[in-house]
Amino acid sequence: MLMESSHLALKTTTLCAMEPRKTGKISHLETKNPGILQKLVSMGILPGMPVTLLRRSPSYLFEVDQTRYAVDREIANHIYVSY
Amino acid sequence: MKLPVICPEGECCCGNKGCAPGKGLPKVVLIGNPNVGKSSLFNALSGSYTLVSNYPGTSVEISRGKTRIREREYEVIDTPGMYSLLPVSEEERVSQLLVFEEEPLVYLHVLDARNLRRMLSFTLQLLEAGLPLILVLNMMDEAEERGIEIDIPELSRILGIPVIGTVSSEGKGVEDLKTAISEYNSEYYALSIKKFQKLDYGIETEPYIEAVESLLGHAKETGISKRAISLLLLQEDRTALEYLPGAEKSPEYGRAGNGKNYEEILKLIEEASKLSAVPLSYFFTLKRQESVNGIVEQVMEIPERMERENRVRAAVTLTGKGSWKKGHSACTGQEKVKPEKETKHAGPGKKKRTQQRNIDFSEKIDNILIHPVLGIPVLFLVLYFGLYQFVGVFAAGTVVDLLENTVFGEYINPLVTSLFESFVPYPALQDLFVGEYGIFTQAVTYAIALILPIVGAFFLVFSIIEDTGYLPRLSLLLDSMFKKIGLSGRAVIPMVLGFGCSTMATMVTRTLETKRERLIANVLLALAIPCSAQLGIILSILSGNPKALPIWAGVIVLEFILIGYLASRILPGEAPTFILEMPPLRRPKLSNILVKTYSRMHWYFLEVLPLFVVASILIWIGRLTGIFDLALKVMEYPTVWIGLPPNAADVFLFGFFRRDFGAAGLYGMYDSGLLTGLQLVVAAVTLTLFMPCIAQFMMTVKERGLKTALVISGFIFPFAFLTGFIVNTLLTALGVSL
Ligand SMILES: Nc1nc2c(ncn2[C@@H]2O[C@H](COP(=O)(O)OP(=O)(O)OP(=O)(O)O)[C@@H](O)[C@H]2O)c(=O)[nH]1
Ligand SMILES: [Mg+2]
Repeated sequence: MLMESSHLALKTTTLCAMEPRKTGKISHLETKNPGILQKLVSMGILPGMPVTLLRRSPSYLFEVDQTRYAVDREIANHIYVSY
Repeated sequence: MKLPVICPEGECCCGNKGCAPGKGLPKVVLIGNPNVGKSSLFNALSGSYTLVSNYPGTSVEISRGKTRIREREYEVIDTPGMYSLLPVSEEERVSQLLVFEEEPLVYLHVLDARNLRRMLSFTLQLLEAGLPLILVLNMMDEAEERGIEIDIPELSRILGIPVIGTVSSEGKGVEDLKTAISEYNSEYYALSIKKFQKLDYGIETEPYIEAVESLLGHAKETGISKRAISLLLLQEDRTALEYLPGAEKSPEYGRAGNGKNYEEILKLIEEASKLSAVPLSYFFTLKRQESVNGIVEQVMEIPERMERENRVRAAVTLTGKGSWKKGHSACTGQEKVKPEKETKHAGPGKKKRTQQRNIDFSEKIDNILIHPVLGIPVLFLVLYFGLYQFVGVFAAGTVVDLLENTVFGEYINPLVTSLFESFVPYPALQDLFVGEYGIFTQAVTYAIALILPIVGAFFLVFSIIEDTGYLPRLSLLLDSMFKKIGLSGRAVIPMVLGFGCSTMATMVTRTLETKRERLIANVLLALAIPCSAQLGIILSILSGNPKALPIWAGVIVLEFILIGYLASRILPGEAPTFILEMPPLRRPKLSNILVKTYSRMHWYFLEVLPLFVVASILIWIGRLTGIFDLALKVMEYPTVWIGLPPNAADVFLFGFFRRDFGAAGLYGMYDSGLLTGLQLVVAAVTLTLFMPCIAQFMMTVKERGLKTALVISGFIFPFAFLTGFIVNTLLTALGVSL
């Protein structure tokens, strides 16, 4: 993990803090709530998938692979991306 | 005439009692993610109509239809969309239960071709469950538009099942699909899909999966494989748990020894989840995705965004290199080929360029619709033109005026009345059919001349909005505001649907994730959301007065916010979260809009007319026996209390039957000029908040239980009048003249 990020100079942040219009990869999902986690993965928001943040307001809008999702801040904070 | 049912061998139920057409036929079940086009495929296959709209969660119920392929009949079943076999929300559970209980000839897993990578995981899950399967790659047009290429034969070979590409909204590929259904042979495919029935989940979890599986020996028969049940159990799925013997807390089961297995399984589940660093559902999904990625790499090519644009440019400039498949087999003579070739080559280039332009254009529109600042005025424009101008002023004003006052008032009703009176000389019967509250002069006139045009106009606008995909954008736009009233942006969809008919919308609250959210949404639907007919009438009545409409709207919106806010404060439970898939904007199809509007009008009319007629009859009986007058006397108290004349009491009495019936009564009073501007506003406010109609009440009972439904109604009745009273007092005290 450490090697990888230093080698490629990857930044890992939450989706909330990601720069809009940049494309990265979902690195992991972190939530205490199993319901949310299950919902995210079943909808295809999975580690390793390419992700682009399109919009922060009025809600977060992002694209994973070929699909767009709208989420609130709470959920966006559970999604970690590296780019 | 009853058509003879063609029964396939071995599955025939002919001669048995209770053999209904459709029943006993081989079943074809459509399943897949939300918004991939299952219902449009269902419509194309079965010739029935079920709602098709551009947002996830359109279907919340199972629909059944019939189709005939090569002289053989099949039952076709459409299900609510589900993301995986492990449901999160209620409508997904409806589908999951169907999979547990049915044993169809074949499942059609419908997915959006563009999202093959995401949705193939569900295919693997279905194969794992040992279900007979045909894979349908729908929306091939959109995939092609984005330059995505899928090797369908190769995918079919890898999976070992038939794979068919379709564009269900245009009926393309449906014939191929029908052929695949009629040729489907489960035994043949059972052999070839073996490899996916046992995906390897790694040495740490496999022992648990197998251990649970082996304990399932006496489990009730379900449609799906023991291994799949075992996986669901390990993910603590409620339905799978309920299917375990011993889960019914009957002592018999315990004594029979099955209870022991049940305990043991529970122990294994607990152990496995403790051992795993991440929730098992997460772990299993990741593992499955690994297999999916391996497959997708072999069969699918997605151009990068940049590359796609370049490719389009290349295709435009180098007309010689366009890819073209169709038509070249028709080329024969040399001379003829040349000019044709040129046009053929220019064709795809042009096509690609327009495709790219279309994508860019819809992207621009999309950006405006969901812009935090621009989005709001756009919403008001939609409301102003779609709702106020078209439904309120045009349909409920002009058209209704023409139908009600001229066509029915001057021609039809006088004619029918005089005819009836000359043939039937009994005043009591005359009263029943053509009197003031008569079946013809009131019920039928209201239904056809008043309700039908308004509802029709409304559903037309509504269908257009639904089919573009505006509703999920509205969800995104309003999420943060909805959070203040304890709802997520997801709830915007049932709320907006409530303006069409609160009864249907009450059912759509299934798509909300928590009980708390569903309850708040049900309360607000019952209280503050007027249904289309009611809304149209109120808009039209108040439109003559520039101050009246904003006051009415303001009061209702305040009420909506206040009650939502209080409910979110009082009700225990976690705050809602918002995740919603955002479908692309799509160009509405005229055929779907028309069919949808028609089918909703049809449904509404059939729902409304009998009730109106029953109301007429009840009023007639009530008037003969004096009960009607007694009820009116009682209703007069609250009516007078909120500043309305006593004869407005029947409006509220009507309102008990249906909201739109009450509104129709109000329209009658307005038409005869019996109410002042102030009284109109007060009556409109009270009636909007007033009782949900009988149908909605029944639906709330079905979804939330009798007690909750009664509590909601018991709260709304006094509350509506209280608000009417406050509005009347305030406006009078402030000396507002309307
Ligand atoms: N471009 C394109 N659009 C399609 C196709 N099939 C369906 N649609 C559109 O996709 C949207 C969703 O279609 P539905 O049939 O309602 O989808 P569904 O799978 O039943 O959705 P849920 O009931 O929400 O699970 C509608 O707007 C359809 O017009 C297709 O092949 N191509
Ligand atoms: Mg559907």
